[in-house]
Amino acid sequence: MNGYYGKLLDVNLSNGKVKVIDIPESDMRNFIGGRGLGMKILTDRIKKPGLDPLSPANPLLFMPGPFCGLPIPNSSRTCVVTKSPRTNPANPLYKHSSGIGYANMGGFFGPELRFAGYDAMVVTGKARKPVYICIEDDRVEIRDASKYWGMKTDEFDRKFIEDLGDRRFESCYIGPAGENLVPMACIINTAARAAGRGGTGCVMGSKNLKAIAVRGTKSPQVANHEKFLELLELSRKTFAGLDDGVKRWRASGTTGALENSSNNGTQAVKNFREGTFEEVQKIGTLANREKIWKRDFACFTCQLACKKSGNAKGAYGTLVHDGPEYETGTMLGTNLLISDLNGLQKLIYDGDDYGLDIISAGNVIGFLMECYEKGLIDTDFLDGIDLRWGSVDATLEMLRKISYRDGIGDKASRGVKYMAALIGKGSENFAIHVKGHELAAWNVHRNPGSYGITYTMSNRGACHLSGGSKTAQDSMALRDSLGTCSFASSWFRNDLHYRHFMSAITGIEWSEKEFVMAGERIFNLEKMFNYREGFRRGDDVLPERFYTEPYTIGAAKGAVVNRDSFEGIQNKFYDERGWDRETTRPLKETIDRLGLGYFLL
Amino acid sequence: MTKLVAHTRRAFVRNVTLGAGALAMFRGIGLLAAQASGDTKVKAIFIDFDKCSGCRTCEMACSAFNHRADVGGKMMEGLGNPELSNIRVWHYNPDVDVPVTCFLCSDAPCVETCPVEKHPSTGRKALYRDPLLHTVVCDYDRCIGCGSCAVVCASSRGGVIERNPENGKPGRICTLCGGDPSCVKYCTYGALSFREIELDEPLRNMKPGDIAGKLIEKYYEITHRVN
Repeated sequence: MNGYYGKLLDVNLSNGKVKVIDIPESDMRNFIGGRGLGMKILTDRIKKPGLDPLSPANPLLFMPGPFCGLPIPNSSRTCVVTKSPRTNPANPLYKHSSGIGYANMGGFFGPELRFAGYDAMVVTGKARKPVYICIEDDRVEIRDASKYWGMKTDEFDRKFIEDLGDRRFESCYIGPAGENLVPMACIINTAARAAGRGGTGCVMGSKNLKAIAVRGTKSPQVANHEKFLELLELSRKTFAGLDDGVKRWRASGTTGALENSSNNGTQAVKNFREGTFEEVQKIGTLANREKIWKRDFACFTCQLACKKSGNAKGAYGTLVHDGPEYETGTMLGTNLLISDLNGLQKLIYDGDDYGLDIISAGNVIGFLMECYEKGLIDTDFLDGIDLRWGSVDATLEMLRKISYRDGIGDKASRGVKYMAALIGKGSENFAIHVKGHELAAWNVHRNPGSYGITYTMSNRGACHLSGGSKTAQDSMALRDSLGTCSFASSWFRNDLHYRHFMSAITGIEWSEKEFVMAGERIFNLEKMFNYREGFRRGDDVLPERFYTEPYTIGAAKGAVVNRDSFEGIQNKFYDERGWDRETTRPLKETIDRLGLGYFLL
Repeated sequence: MTKLVAHTRRAFVRNVTLGAGALAMFRGIGLLAAQASGDTKVKAIFIDFDKCSGCRTCEMACSAFNHRADVGGKMMEGLGNPELSNIRVWHYNPDVDVPVTCFLCSDAPCVETCPVEKHPSTGRKALYRDPLLHTVVCDYDRCIGCGSCAVVCASSRGGVIERNPENGKPGRICTLCGGDPSCVKYCTYGALSFREIELDEPLRNMKPGDIAGKLIEKYYEITHRVN
């Protein structure tokens, strides 16, 4: 199919075999690429439920989209798809029941994989000793990585590229957390960007795979060259206009949301107890501009440059890293009542350096801080750590212990659902997760209709980027499949709609209906995978806190979620989706309409 | 199916003659014609390292312009392929981004070192200076593919020249796109501009790693050696 190579790179680390497999044209048509095509390949490989996510048979997919490698602005994203070690149903049907995992990262890796001539990459098996995979176009080698094992991501990022001897390589890798099979480990690239959620780094570690390096010299082609160039010119002009939106992203990235969200009462504060943090301005945009940020940096073809790098000076020394973003600044900042900017940057640096999912790590540490404050656990339980709200030192020690699965860290590394079951004493009510996956930095009380749906219906467990309605979910699934960045989506409307690019790329006229349906198909396939593992209505629930503990401060003081009304919203959602209200099973007509009958429920 | 075609001077002239952008192109060249070859002050691509975000749009734009696509017999800009780009953005950790393209060095060591005898009528070696644009141009018919130019560029300047693996002849030398550089046109960060500059100003004529080292020191106040 035009716009694709139709090639899946298949690396088996158990027997060292490398294959290039043709991707059926219908799969590209129906599942696009990225998250969608990754899901299709995953379901082709996992025929039965209950597979241990850390077994060699679990496929780990690296999925650029069809936009990657083309000059379309903001088309850099790679989706990592696998069976997640993070989520499990309340009533598991199998010992290893778990849901799908996908995590999306920016940077340069996905485009480079396309320059090397692949639309998809799958890693299966398990190497006998630590290895990395080196891809140079058609040449693919599995190489010894023993000397890198144990290396944190920042040092690895610098060392690895020097050893490869060519700075044109792009790479992604795990840190100690992934090596140590910490379930909340992530995959990092450029020492700062992460395929953060769902335990992708843990799966990579279970394969003894430290890193993948790729360099390519080819380029994808399109069906309607002239039309594509027209759209390209128009889209570039749109960004070149530097409207307020572009300026805002460049000025403050996602960090601008720190203060806005706090003011609106939508921020995760004190383990999601509140939505507002009084000291937020100490870690907000202005403070960062003044004290930390030196440079803006962008992903491949990006026009927004939302990432900022700099160095904070203070008690934790001078360290250079990307500054707080909304998620990292909230989960390791406001959620723990930390407002020391130098300390916060050190926490973010360490989290990335270990290769940890900072959202889940900040969430579980917040939970333990609350348990400690309430006297449900003591310093003995915490290996002597005085885990008080706002303590940078205690948080640093927790991050280290989680990454090395040392003592309390080993327990905490399994996440907040596990910890609540272990501690008990009512702590389940403030264990902030859905399906075992911790909530991200947007709090629920104020916007249950949107964020409640986002979190409870997300197929990878609580996720802030899943979409707050059927329409939003379907379009997010599409974006994650195209390889484009959701932050830039508002510039791709009307004449510049993604589907016009897809029509020019593939030479197939994509109708709006068909395009939207592809997103719906992808979301439903994920849901069917989860259903087969045993996820039911009882797994689509919000933590109890949101129903029973109204905010006590801030603009949204008093906000709380009404149980009946939220369940009503959920019922409507299942109906709209064509899923059974009681079981959440997608109805036969839904499955047939989307052509997903191949997947046996 | 489209075919990539190297954008030679001949092809360029043909496209300009046929293409819609002809007027704009010639206006650019007209401005440059006034400038005498050998000046230390010429119109060149100025790189503002403070503003580069490392997005590499310039690489896509450069390679698309300089490597045309034959679309059913019609010559059009390509889609871009960083591998073929004459400008390259080098990334470093700690984060600095260093776009490097031919610096149009006033002393042009690449031309100096070219061992091919001067042509009796034009007085040009195989590698020579374009009198109009001040760019370094290779006469591929006369070039012997010895690689001296690439060696001296790598050891003493930006290391932009790369040899064709098949015949050893130099490539990746900036063409200024005939007077309206595509990289500049599509850089929305304002990191690239096409203007009259002093050729020997700071952070020019250096290896990307050395530039990166200086930038890291400047932004982050730490010394960090990179290659």
